[in-house]
Amino acid sequence: MTATEVFLQQVIYGLSNGMIIALVALGYTMVYGIVELINFAHGDVFTLGGFLALTIVGALGAAAVLNPDTLGDSSHWLLLATLVIGAGLFCGGLNVLIDRVVYKPLRSAPKLTQLVAAIGVSFILVNIALFWGGAPMKILGNGNAAAASKNFPEILEGSNLLGEESNVVLRLEDLAIFAVTIPLMIGLTLFVKHTRLGRGMRATAQNPIAAKLMGIDTDRVISATFLIGGFLAGAASVMWSVYNNSISFQMGFRAGMDAFTAAVLGGIGSLPGAMIGGVLIGLIRSLSDGYIETRWTNVVVFGVLILILVFRPSGLLGLKQREKV
Amino acid sequence: MSAAAPRFTLFSRSQLIVLGLLAATPLLDLAMPSLQLSAPMRTIVTSAILALGLNIVVGWTGLLNLGIAAFAALGAYAFAILTCEIYPFQVGFWWGVLLAGAFGALAGWLLGAPTLRLRGDYLAIVTLGFGEIVQDALKNLPAVTKGTQGINPLPAPTLGMMEFSSETPVRWFYLYLAILAVIVFLCRNLEFSRLGRQWFAVREDELAARCMAIDPDKVKLKAFAMGAALAAVAGALIASQLSSTGEPSNYDFQMSILALCIVIVGGIGSITGVLVGSIVMVGLNNVLLPIATQSLQRAGIGSTGNVLTSPDNYKFLFFGLALVLMMRYRPDGIVHSAKAVKK
Amino acid sequence: MISTLTSTLANFALLCTLTVSAHAADTIKIVSSLPRTGSANAQTTSMVNGIKMAIAELGAKIGESTLVYEDWDDASPQKGNWDPTVEAQNADKAIADAEVMAYIGTYNSGAAKISMPKLNAAGLVMVSPANTAPNLTKTGFGEPNEPAVYRPSGKINYFRVVPTDDVQGAVAADYAKELGATKVFVLNDREVYGMGVAAVFEKRAKEIGLTVVGTDGIDYKAANFKSLVTKMKQAGADLVYFGGTTQTNAGQIAKDIVSGGLKAKLIVPDGCYEKAFIESAGAKALEGRCFITFGGVEAKALKGKGAEFYANYKKTYGGEPEGYAVYGYESAKVVLSAMQKLHAAGTAITRAGVLAEVSKTKGFTGALGTWSFDENGDTTNRVMSVNTVVAGEFATVKVSGLDAGQ
Repeated sequence: MTATEVFLQQVIYGLSNGMIIALVALGYTMVYGIVELINFAHGDVFTLGGFLALTIVGALGAAAVLNPDTLGDSSHWLLLATLVIGAGLFCGGLNVLIDRVVYKPLRSAPKLTQLVAAIGVSFILVNIALFWGGAPMKILGNGNAAAASKNFPEILEGSNLLGEESNVVLRLEDLAIFAVTIPLMIGLTLFVKHTRLGRGMRATAQNPIAAKLMGIDTDRVISATFLIGGFLAGAASVMWSVYNNSISFQMGFRAGMDAFTAAVLGGIGSLPGAMIGGVLIGLIRSLSDGYIETRWTNVVVFGVLILILVFRPSGLLGLKQREKV
Repeated sequence: MSAAAPRFTLFSRSQLIVLGLLAATPLLDLAMPSLQLSAPMRTIVTSAILALGLNIVVGWTGLLNLGIAAFAALGAYAFAILTCEIYPFQVGFWWGVLLAGAFGALAGWLLGAPTLRLRGDYLAIVTLGFGEIVQDALKNLPAVTKGTQGINPLPAPTLGMMEFSSETPVRWFYLYLAILAVIVFLCRNLEFSRLGRQWFAVREDELAARCMAIDPDKVKLKAFAMGAALAAVAGALIASQLSSTGEPSNYDFQMSILALCIVIVGGIGSITGVLVGSIVMVGLNNVLLPIATQSLQRAGIGSTGNVLTSPDNYKFLFFGLALVLMMRYRPDGIVHSAKAVKK
Repeated sequence: MISTLTSTLANFALLCTLTVSAHAADTIKIVSSLPRTGSANAQTTSMVNGIKMAIAELGAKIGESTLVYEDWDDASPQKGNWDPTVEAQNADKAIADAEVMAYIGTYNSGAAKISMPKLNAAGLVMVSPANTAPNLTKTGFGEPNEPAVYRPSGKINYFRVVPTDDVQGAVAADYAKELGATKVFVLNDREVYGMGVAAVFEKRAKEIGLTVVGTDGIDYKAANFKSLVTKMKQAGADLVYFGGTTQTNAGQIAKDIVSGGLKAKLIVPDGCYEKAFIESAGAKALEGRCFITFGGVEAKALKGKGAEFYANYKKTYGGEPEGYAVYGYESAKVVLSAMQKLHAAGTAITRAGVLAEVSKTKGFTGALGTWSFDENGDTTNRVMSVNTVVAGEFATVKVSGLDAGQ
């Protein structure tokens, strides 16, 4: 491999991984922007999305729907779309449910109380994923060991688009990530900018009390935020599973941590910030893996983060907050 | 701000009660030998010291720190390098603990100086990141830290002629409890000192504090360094108890999270709350859940055949559920401090 | 009032002493300390099943005494992995409980470092079904003070029925050469076990003339290792060795080697010798390119008592035993056989007695063949197999060290 080829390859991987992180980070940043909660359970909601996706794939596979012979080219994409929407709605719904049951009663409690409750939810979801990995997966032929990571079948054809002889590998999965994440991001931006509910979100983020006084149903806005954030996490988890071909009950930990880091790096509360932050983290990771050493990658990621924050205390795109008096 | 500290008592009444309860647990052990409480009791004490350090930062100064475990790790490793027989220093237990604390303060100062002007959640991610950096650095620098292997053996405490070992767990527990009592006493004095009042002022309103000629950066830095020092002392005590630093990954994000849960569940800003919180949280993690699963086993309930039937597999669920329920029904923590942060 | 209270207390105390003394006469407790919460659960479950089977075979009795087995967890939910405070607690608890005559554990070599000195000082026998780090028992692999630091009493109380990694890593390197590899890339998971076995592999590989084109420690919580695979491709590696386990993401590495277009073979140690590894990597990523070393042979190839074990296990638990199950079984067996000898000789079963008998184990015929404990407490069993994956199942391709046993 020439130096250029290596660099190109690392950038491809960095962008693909980064786009997934960005999608998860959007959910973090939206929820934070509206209710000022660092939602520690977000990563574990993401995990359950992957488990639902594998269950759907397993069920279809068991019902022999997933037969490579009968499955034409377009139906791969159809399946992917089904998974994204299915897992998205599931995670969105779950997120709303968690908000209603756990966070809503604590809305006026100290911020850290909500944080600890979110940590508690995270533990519960991890346990649910562990159980989900047991009997349900066994029946569908996705492995016997509940705690082990599970193989996620190849949904998109795995050959190298640049030709099998090419040193640089670009696969359909890499393109699929962009095909899914970019429209979602554009859609989200348009939604927040131009719809009534979107305006409500921005208003609530600015000042919840004033928003309420202006006749905005802030409860509805909050639910919508959790729904959308969860949807994006679900979509991201499908892309993550398809891209890595595996899921595990603890996969949400790193995904959540990366996403949280991305959201803060970009400026917490800022949508474009979360996107840029995610892509940046993905790129830093792959370049550090490739050019430094994998064992130092975490140090590099967080080192860069701390440096950036020292010089830009509100993240890359965050607004400088005025101290409230 | 409530009344000034009564000068004639070492501890407040509630602190005295909790410390007294802790001191009485070996009696419970005598009555019910099967509980074997003296080992987890030491963990409760060390976790309380860690959480008291975090309480200075989070509870009193209002800075969210998600990486307190990093300072415990630095404390443990400083203690280990200063005392272990494979290094040339071998300063002994007491100097080891004190120097580990000083090293922790220095590390806190160095991290805090450039980053403390960050707002709440930006600071939180910096501390979280610092926690990850410390763990990886300890792992990746085996020339200094022995990497993943950890450093052992580490000395047990000595006090004059008195020896401490794993054969004398009760004696060891009382020594750690005494150290905790000294730290509680120090914290209580800090709380009512000029510095303590400055911390509260900064927490409540930084701008107003500035108007009162308080330099928030300086005050925050002091809190950060002191919290780090206590965490480092806790790390040193944990390492001595295990006679090993363990692996660097023992001081991971989960340890920071446990300390945070102790502070919040116990009652943010309250020393008694931290003591109660560590009894509850460590009790849940190290005593209650193991005993519960073992009793189920003894009763013949559960099997290893299936993930659902093995009681151990419910531990995450109960741990999480306990946190959610405690926050739901005691949102201000078990011990509510009159001076606690109001949102 | 006070007198009633005192008498109640006195009664209670009496009751306690009575129960304790009554138990001491006829209960022998064996405990295991293995990570039961979190991702190692699958492996430790098979070990626990093995231990239970060994005890059930004796009808849970030695003479008149009842055998009680307790399955302790050294992980905690807060960590989701082995927790040093819990492991220390388990050791202390076992020491304080006079009925405990043997301690089976640990799973993680790092955990053993915590409990070994404690149990050694207390003279309680410890048998590990899984620790393979050589520095726990042998000089020259770790710090100069190892393994003496784990033996404060100067005596040996720690034994293991698994061959250590100095054997395994070397077997893997030799096999890499047999496969025709010339340029190897050595990865580890930065855990005690994985780093140890990878270091042995690297050393041996250099000795036998292979070129080590790179080494790295992975971050096993990472989502994927595609960038690392690119780096290995750039280095021109034709074989990758990963010192790690299924839990530290060996399956993902196998997958990313394929998807990243790296045409190299992969060799992994016994931490991956379990069904879950095939399930998580997907058989397609392993067949014909991945080789797994394992201390011993596959369960269905066991002979003699091993064959009995295999048949019995399938009957009891209704499934194929994992590679680890037999080690759990053998650990319990060696302890139980020591107790039986004591009983046959008419001596009381005490900790010191059990320890003395276990350390005398010579020419023990068990499920793993005939073996002894050497002067370090390690098994003389050096049988190593190299396995690959064929049609979704492990298949042995080579067995070495059969003659070195006994």
